[in-house]
Amino acid sequence: MEVLLGLTGRDFVLMAASKAAMRGATILKASDDKTRELTKHTLMAYSGEAGDTVQFAEYVQANVALYSMRNDTDLGPGAVASFTRSELARSLRSRSPYMVNLLLGGWDVLGGKDVEVESETKEGKEGGSDAQDGKNGKAIKKTGCARLYWIDYLASQAEVPYAAHGYAQYYCLSILDKHHHPDIDFDQGMKLLKMCSDELKRRLPIDFKGLVVKVMTKDGIREVEFDDSAPVKSA
Amino acid sequence: MDTLVARYSAPPSQHQPLDQDEQEELMEALPPLSLKFALPPIAQPSSWLRTMTDDHANPNCPIKIAHGTTTLAFRFQGGIIVATDSRATAGNWIASQTVKKVIEINNCLLGTMAGGAADCQYWLAYLGMQCRLHELRHKRRISVAAASKILANLVYSYKGYGLSMGTMCAGVTPQEGPALYYIDSDGTRLAGNLFCVGSGQTFAYGVLDAEYRYDLSENEALELGRRSILAATHRDAFSGGFINLYHVKEDGWVKHGFNDTNPIFWKTKLEKGEFSNVTADLD
Amino acid sequence: MASVFSASIPQEAPGYSFNHLSSGTREHAFNPYTDNGGSTLGISGADFTIFAGDTRSTSGYNINTRYAPKLFKIGGEGPSNENARIVLSVVGFAADGNALKERLDTVVKMYKYQHGKPMTVAACAQRLSHILYSKRFFPYYVHAILGGLDEDGKGALYSYDPVGSYEREQCRAAGSASSLIMPFLDNQVNFKNQYVPGSGVGHALEQRVPEPLPRKDVEQLVKDAFTSATERQIEVGDGLQMMTITKDGIEEVYSPLKKD
Repeated sequence: MEVLLGLTGRDFVLMAASKAAMRGATILKASDDKTRELTKHTLMAYSGEAGDTVQFAEYVQANVALYSMRNDTDLGPGAVASFTRSELARSLRSRSPYMVNLLLGGWDVLGGKDVEVESETKEGKEGGSDAQDGKNGKAIKKTGCARLYWIDYLASQAEVPYAAHGYAQYYCLSILDKHHHPDIDFDQGMKLLKMCSDELKRRLPIDFKGLVVKVMTKDGIREVEFDDSAPVKSA
Repeated sequence: MDTLVARYSAPPSQHQPLDQDEQEELMEALPPLSLKFALPPIAQPSSWLRTMTDDHANPNCPIKIAHGTTTLAFRFQGGIIVATDSRATAGNWIASQTVKKVIEINNCLLGTMAGGAADCQYWLAYLGMQCRLHELRHKRRISVAAASKILANLVYSYKGYGLSMGTMCAGVTPQEGPALYYIDSDGTRLAGNLFCVGSGQTFAYGVLDAEYRYDLSENEALELGRRSILAATHRDAFSGGFINLYHVKEDGWVKHGFNDTNPIFWKTKLEKGEFSNVTADLD
Repeated sequence: MASVFSASIPQEAPGYSFNHLSSGTREHAFNPYTDNGGSTLGISGADFTIFAGDTRSTSGYNINTRYAPKLFKIGGEGPSNENARIVLSVVGFAADGNALKERLDTVVKMYKYQHGKPMTVAACAQRLSHILYSKRFFPYYVHAILGGLDEDGKGALYSYDPVGSYEREQCRAAGSASSLIMPFLDNQVNFKNQYVPGSGVGHALEQRVPEPLPRKDVEQLVKDAFTSATERQIEVGDGLQMMTITKDGIEEVYSPLKKD
């Protein structure tokens, strides 16, 4: 009963993964981190077959890092997702496929709308990317945008505003359907996540030991303090 | 006539008692470092192996491989305690009561053995070899993180073949301090403060979780390790024999005995009044 | 194999009227093993190691032969393995046992030719473990016991599971009568559940401390173990092959067991 959750907002992507590492009837670890950073701006959360999960995530992580070294540029979240999906699809047709479900979230520095900025205030790659200088001292910049990809072990991929894997789907997607808007701010996003977490604590029969929460913004990836220690009363 | 001869004469390869590889291997002075394992000549070797050797799925399987166990290890302020029982079972038969389930990889790294006895013995010995090679190549001792990852990647490469092992790597290195990793044959590798592995794990967790603190004194920690294994040997039929206790410190591990559970049980019962489910009356 | 033969046994008693052909598709399972029965045991002493095994070979309820040795000298010279100092006993599937014996024997001989000295029992024990493990995914269906004298001249005995986990022990019984013999050995060799007479009553009783037994006593234990096992195990009997390894070499003795 592993939980993976992801949701996007105006200027961030939030991803959450349960902290329990279970084997049979035993929780072996209550502080497991089921995520790997792929680039400065993209994060992968994984669940599924023991062993396969970490091996696959670290395989993708290494290949994405290799791409960055060779080309001196990071892959965007969309490219990372496509690469991940194709590797999973290739493995699916081999003798021993990876049985891994994934959420891939990231801040796409090349996405979003064009905006004009003063060229002297050009600050390199911080935030959005800069295009070639426009006329009369103006530059075209991208605002950047949040991206979230849902990928399952059969290598189905979908770009979505919010996503879940495992039993969390049954409880959380309806909550997100009702309360999510594309332009919510970070605080509203955290509130939404808390609603989902509370519902899972209320209804899931097995304790998943809370969530590790990470947020991706234009400034990179950061772990968020997420206090879900308070007991949740059943209705 | 020729077709008849062809039909009834075996191809020349069948007259060869051994193939080239086998012949060469026998002539080698040392066992090959490359890992070549014989596989049965069928489509699904793993499911065949399961029907032949898995006494859990099939109690009448012909080959019974030694199994069973309780092992534990935990980190505390004074290092790491490693404790195990010593029973090996093959089906319901107690194959041995004197198994050494703590494997000394080198003088500051320990591995524990749960699951298939041969799998653990062989691959932890292999790990010991790889650790030594690392030392020779890099002129410094391997970290516990790296050693455990060698093992995890190795067993992962055999995933689905039928290996069965749940092992813990405990060690103290200057760069990491005391470090403890859990590795199993699914390929899982977890760092942690406290693990119990084997058929008696739940019973050991029960005692260990209740009294575990990071700031335990050395004697308290040793006693807690011993008492947790005792609890498991008492409730789990596949665990028993002797209690094997180790303490890993900065300057290597120290062995704290290989003691029969029976006297320890009676001492615990009579002196502390525990195990009230058992009567001490002789009549 | 066993199932192939048992189907062709002429049955005296009336059988069940199941129609075996009507049960749909017939499966061809890959079953390369059979159990040839029998039992072996080994005991190590202060300056000797004794091996014993019965010589009956069975398949199912049939007796193939009354003399099929399960004890093999390893690493000697010539066809009769002269001057060997290591003995291997294997019980289980005889074909695998023979293959294993041949392989270990070759390895030990090659070692001697290449290093100019005989292999120690400890080294041989580890090598046997690796040979067994090399067939981890297609195991040798055998329980092996290996022994000789260690570098200090003390008796050494190593016992194995089918895939190569091994341990040095004082005594070990293997095979179909192991469940009869092993508890007897635990009591008589390691003095399990024996207490010092007069040391007290109840919890005050002192455990009797095991000590290496003299050779004569061990030989008598071995004979008692096998005559008793022959009485209660159908796969054990016919003859008893015993090998004793001392500093002077290996002595082999054959004595009869009941042949019913």
